[in-house]
Amino acid sequence: MTERLKFAGAGFVVGVLSGLLGVGGGIFLVPIMVTYFNITQHIAQATSMAIVIPTALISSIIYGFHGNTDVNLALNLIVGSILGASIGARIMKRIPPIRLQQLFAVLLIVVGVRMVLT
Amino acid sequence: MTMIMMIFGIGLTAGVLSGILGIGGGVVLVPMLVLLLGITQHTAQGISMLVIIPTSIVSVWYFYKERLINYQAAAYLAGGAAVGAFISANFVQAVPASELKRIFGIFVIFAGFRMIWATRKRK
Repeated sequence: MTERLKFAGAGFVVGVLSGLLGVGGGIFLVPIMVTYFNITQHIAQATSMAIVIPTALISSIIYGFHGNTDVNLALNLIVGSILGASIGARIMKRIPPIRLQQLFAVLLIVVGVRMVLT
Repeated sequence: MTMIMMIFGIGLTAGVLSGILGIGGGVVLVPMLVLLLGITQHTAQGISMLVIIPTSIVSVWYFYKERLINYQAAAYLAGGAAVGAFISANFVQAVPASELKRIFGIFVIFAGFRMIWATRKRK
């Protein structure tokens, strides 16, 4: 029972951040599951993707309702991202993602600094 | 033509990273849309949410076959997340774009540092 409440509470916080920032929330979900709920990295990553679906669905309906979306551009992006996701999900099990995560993290910091400054 | 190739490339990059890192891909998509294509922050976030849905469905399909999903955790976390997103996605529309961009930037920097920290602890 308490475990379920903790799950729902953590989910709520992630959902707020997700809707606010227009991201899936996986970037918070994965570390939360690994650190607080002792779920292994690979299972946490896979579970995160399942949570992202309903969250993104609700947010995109609301963003669309306020006129803040571009369906044509989204469809073009989706073609690439679906192909990319099937490649990424296949290789995910084979690689220890530590080096990749470090590279990705550096990229995030650089991008973040640019977004704050411009 | 170059525009379409660029959009395809952005989608492909976001998809690969999404599948490998188990994230929606929005954290990569939003900055690329804003910085490379010059789309406004709110619309970029709205587009990002739309793109995330099919991308994660594809990933979930592979992970489901590999039996990597913890369904109990998924159900309760998703329930909470859906309620949270419902509230904040409405609220965010009133935030000015320049402010939102800055908030997003700070979040991305924080996410980057947190990721580096996580890889250190595991070694």
